[in-house]
Amino acid sequence: MFVLNGYEYLLGFLLTCSLVPILALSASKLLRPSGGGPERRTTYESGMEPIGGAWIQFNIRYYMFALVFVVFDVETVFLYPWAVAFSQLGLLAFIEALVFIAILVIALVYAWRKGALEWS
Amino acid sequence: MQIAEGVQLVTFGILSLLMLGAALGVVLFANIVYSAFLLGGVFISMAGIYILLNADFVSAAQILVYVGAVNVLILFAIMLVNKREDFKPLKNSWIRQGMTVVVCGGLFALLGSVSLVTPWKISTVMPLASSTVPIAKHFFTDFLLPFELASVLLLMSMVGAIILARRDFVPDTVTGITSTQDSLTLPERPRELAGK
Repeated sequence: MFVLNGYEYLLGFLLTCSLVPILALSASKLLRPSGGGPERRTTYESGMEPIGGAWIQFNIRYYMFALVFVVFDVETVFLYPWAVAFSQLGLLAFIEALVFIAILVIALVYAWRKGALEWS
Repeated sequence: MQIAEGVQLVTFGILSLLMLGAALGVVLFANIVYSAFLLGGVFISMAGIYILLNADFVSAAQILVYVGAVNVLILFAIMLVNKREDFKPLKNSWIRQGMTVVVCGGLFALLGSVSLVTPWKISTVMPLASSTVPIAKHFFTDFLLPFELASVLLLMSMVGAIILARRDFVPDTVTGITSTQDSLTLPERPRELAGK
């Protein structure tokens, strides 16, 4: 039994979203002239010539940021219900959430001191 | 206002088809980057099914953690180690493929028969209109210790990830570590372009 309210808007939004690229691409397919020279097939028409392959090796420094990001993303999931029910919870829950955040600030300070947040 | 029964059924069908198609794509595509993006599609369809099951908080967590963080991490890992190599086809590859078919088919048959045979208990309790506020109330009353322990767990995982990723425990005398560092820190674009 489905009881959640307001999700028909989400459904309509998703349907509209999925229709937009289909309509845009099919409209341009109907309207554009067919054929064209070899410039049509370049990556950026009338733009810069691309250099090298599109599949490059990422810098390893991005990976450190992604690792730190995952930890704080999970923290967001834990803090989200606190934010939603904030007005019903009271002072004690506020202090408890502060303890939660303080422990993760230690993690942030550790990452900072170790240079994980630096682009060296 | 709520979504009608028929619309729910159609949505469930579309979500299941999307999920199965994306999961097949993850397995069957030779290009591993396509597989990683399709894995994101599997996670998003799963979040939609969670919403249909009245689990809005789980669905939000699924999108936030799995699509937003885990899938991005997988993509980063692929792009880090990615070297395009021309793999040679193995000799006697049909043995491997046959073994894979047997193992996967057996697992599928086992799980399918279990899901069909098990007498599922369907809850008769009226589901909650939103699960987020009750979850918050449990977090700050009877599940307070697990909640605070979760932050300690996150702290530990962060410290462990940083230690492993920075390789601080490797002594400086080990030779060869600099060469691997150099090969992993390739500049993304040629220097003469970056200066302009």
